[in-house]
Amino acid sequence: MGIGLLTLIIFLPLVVSFVLLILPVGMKVTRNVAFATTVVVFLLSLSIFFRFRLTDYMQFREFHPWITTYGIYYSLGVDGFSMIILMLITTLIPLGYLFLWKTKKAKGYWASMLLIQTGVTGALLSLDMILFYFFWESMLLPVFMIIGIYGTGNRIFSTLKITIYTIMGSLFMLVSILYLGVAFYNEFGVWSFQLSDLVQITTLTNLQRTLLFFGFMIAFAIKIPIFPFHTWLMQTYSNSPTGGVFILSSIMAKLGIYGIVRFVLPLFPHQYVEFAPYFVGLGVFGLLYFGIAALMQQNIKKMFAYSSASHLSFITAGIFSLNIYGMTGAAFLIVAHAMATGGLFLLNGTIEHDLGIRSISGLGGIAKKAPFLTLAFALMLLCIVGLPGTNGFVSELLIVFGLFQFNHYVGVISALTVLVAASFMFWLFQRAILVGTDNDVSKMKDLDIKEMVGIFSLAVVIFAMGIYPHWFLYKIEPTITHYLVDILKVGVGS
Amino acid sequence: MKYDDIIYLLPLLSIGVGAIVLMLLSPIKKFSIDKLSWVALFFLIVSFATNALNFGMVYSIAPYAHLFSYMLVSDTFSGYFNSIIIAGGIVTVLVGTHYFDKSNMLRGEVFSLLLFAVFGMLLLVQSNELFTSFIALEIASISLYVLIGFQKNNVRRIEGSFRYLILGSMASIMFLLGVTLIYAGTKSTNILNIASYLSSHKTEDMTLTIVGGTLILITFLFKIAAFPFQNWSMDAYEGAPLPITAFMASTFKVAIFGFILRFVLVDFHELKNIWSDILFYVAILTMIYGSFLAIFQTSLKRMLAASSIVHTGYLLIAFVSIGSIGESAATSIIFYLIAYFLSSMGAFGMLSYIASSDHLRVTYEDFRGFSHVRPYMAAMMSIFLLSLAGIPSTIGFIGKFYIFIGAIESGYTILAIVGILATFVSVYYYFKLIALMYFYPSPEMKGKIPPLRGIPPLVIGIMAILIIWGGIGNTLVSYFPGIDFLIDTAKFAYQSLFMG
Repeated sequence: MGIGLLTLIIFLPLVVSFVLLILPVGMKVTRNVAFATTVVVFLLSLSIFFRFRLTDYMQFREFHPWITTYGIYYSLGVDGFSMIILMLITTLIPLGYLFLWKTKKAKGYWASMLLIQTGVTGALLSLDMILFYFFWESMLLPVFMIIGIYGTGNRIFSTLKITIYTIMGSLFMLVSILYLGVAFYNEFGVWSFQLSDLVQITTLTNLQRTLLFFGFMIAFAIKIPIFPFHTWLMQTYSNSPTGGVFILSSIMAKLGIYGIVRFVLPLFPHQYVEFAPYFVGLGVFGLLYFGIAALMQQNIKKMFAYSSASHLSFITAGIFSLNIYGMTGAAFLIVAHAMATGGLFLLNGTIEHDLGIRSISGLGGIAKKAPFLTLAFALMLLCIVGLPGTNGFVSELLIVFGLFQFNHYVGVISALTVLVAASFMFWLFQRAILVGTDNDVSKMKDLDIKEMVGIFSLAVVIFAMGIYPHWFLYKIEPTITHYLVDILKVGVGS
Repeated sequence: MKYDDIIYLLPLLSIGVGAIVLMLLSPIKKFSIDKLSWVALFFLIVSFATNALNFGMVYSIAPYAHLFSYMLVSDTFSGYFNSIIIAGGIVTVLVGTHYFDKSNMLRGEVFSLLLFAVFGMLLLVQSNELFTSFIALEIASISLYVLIGFQKNNVRRIEGSFRYLILGSMASIMFLLGVTLIYAGTKSTNILNIASYLSSHKTEDMTLTIVGGTLILITFLFKIAAFPFQNWSMDAYEGAPLPITAFMASTFKVAIFGFILRFVLVDFHELKNIWSDILFYVAILTMIYGSFLAIFQTSLKRMLAASSIVHTGYLLIAFVSIGSIGESAATSIIFYLIAYFLSSMGAFGMLSYIASSDHLRVTYEDFRGFSHVRPYMAAMMSIFLLSLAGIPSTIGFIGKFYIFIGAIESGYTILAIVGILATFVSVYYYFKLIALMYFYPSPEMKGKIPPLRGIPPLVIGIMAILIIWGGIGNTLVSYFPGIDFLIDTAKFAYQSLFMG
């Protein structure tokens, strides 16, 4: 039995993390080895990217019995949609490490970061619902540790809050998964929790399906978060260490979206179409609501937190827009947003590291002290705002297209809001970075070489994806078309 | 023939002999607690080994049938439960000796009593006749009453012991009355005879038997601390010395379930639907009440005691489902018992090891910043708590998975949802401790906590590894026994019940 590529990608960080925890090595060794591990994982996933065939079915399958009594398999696979997110995760994490390099945290911090990586990639690649749940819950523990141990402010309360909040969502999902499993057993006489099996269930009534649909949606809506399940967000983000926020906003939130597309869509196509208008509505409302909330914030991190939530709502609207523009755009925005927001949180982390946590009015004039940081900040902002040439532009344009097709009014509202909600970022940029004030920012240092490598690699990808979007789009298009035509049966849209 | 049969009795015999030997040795001054613990361990291990001889087969034998007139049975089912109970005894001795040694009140008799309790439990799961069950139950219970109140100068312990004694006696009376009524109805107290009587008569004709069965069921609910009968457990658990609490909470529950599963599955196979309705509400109320109780505790011992009521509730979910899906529900109970045994024994064992040196009160607060002082112990404790909370990658999750899926399969989705909600609440009181251990700076208490050395931490560590192994299973190392193996064994145990 050889070890498959996907298994290696998932479990390499876990194994390294345990070895590091047990061996009496210092923080520096831990950090360097952790970084090397993520680079290896990145190279592995790169080989998947290049060997990926342009079809709509699962590739690189791995299939081993696990709990055979209940037909639970260790089943992995990757399709266009998950491949792009896999690339995103494995690229972002090592680049993020470069930024977290100078944080004076203990080795537990780096070990937890590795564990998170195992959790997220595992959830991303599993095709068995129980296996998925397994990773989905497991990734919470290292996050719990990172925020609780290394966070600031009222960190213990916010850790317990996010943990209990998300576990509540997950448990509803667990009941739904079990219910589906039993339904499959009653219909076919064998146990299975394979996604490809569970979609064949025909016996469930519409009401049952609707309830199950919401059982799943609660779990994912909390993770994203979709309005009104966002109440954990602010505290958690502002009390997390930079690495924690980075992971939460750039990666874990995206998994919520991924979960909807991967599981909810094929399992409940009818409900998906039926409730799509509501979720588009919620998404556009969230875009507006979180955008306004972001405007009010006095703290950069909080502002980014809300602007991130605002974009995630927009992505949600995109995946429920039921046409190829909206969905491809959403997939693209997942990547664009993860990179830009992740970059911004990391940059903010360096500001916090040098100057301490301050409100926006306590900053100003950083540009003089740190020109490269300013440049990087500007690039990320441009991507968030959707400047042509960045991948933010491509994705936002596609989603707005998609929403126009869905409904003209929704399209108009979203198009306007995206612009307005994003432009306040420039206001922040001006106040916090550009304009000189009396505040003492002399401790601010510019980016060091590692951070520059990290952030400008991100910028290169952002522009590459913005200028040559089809390099990436053609990999995911077959999958999305398959979702729309074969599963939802709504067609790709004209 | 005679020589063959003795093999099946050896586990029971060696414990019985061990208990008497220890009783005789304990007054002798030369035998310190340490030495006595090795003697106890010897008999326990002999018993475990002889019990393991028949592992992996499906069999059902009535040893010396004429001598005992079919009162005893030895089958895969009893073998399975025996091994959990004896393992419980072994772990208690290994982990508890440290505690017994440090507290001057406890003396060598503790081991004798412990072995008597184990003897009672083994007899309980092997008995095939209701009066034998009663005697077995009393042997185990009386040993425990004494063990709880062993520390004479502690008023709490005496109170807990007495309360348990008085209420326990009431429960025993119920049991006896139940047996009498069943005898009046069926003219037999042998479980197999009762079963054949029940299957050959109409339900309307056996009111007496049903009332008798219900009384026995009430005793059962009392002993596992299900909802209206749970009050004794908090006091008894809190009053008892910690290793004894661990033993009671995990092992005794296993034995009681072992008995009642045999009783219900073999005897009242046709009638179990009658009780499903009552048990349905009992399960819900047990989970809700236990959860509320657990949230407000500040002492860890009381929290674990209260949470053990919640776990009783989970087990009752599967017990309700037995009505419609016999085999998989019974299997899920058996599996969950193992999961709960490992997790609670580990958690209580860890507490008793920590508390042994200076008899801390062991509250949540005592654990503030614990991970900085004893990182490995904190990690083990976290594993036990995660398993109790049913977080994936522990055996506790797999156990809950079986129970909930069984509930949904048999149509009791509402029970699964209440169970999920109880799990959700439990995350709060288990994670609170993990948060306290990890998120606070190191306190000044290094000297008080025993170091990570010696046998108890080793045993506790092995249990932590087993929990993780049981939760991850045999995906990667396919030839090593994993979850599938455990389930299969549980299934064999179930099948062996119907061979007699």
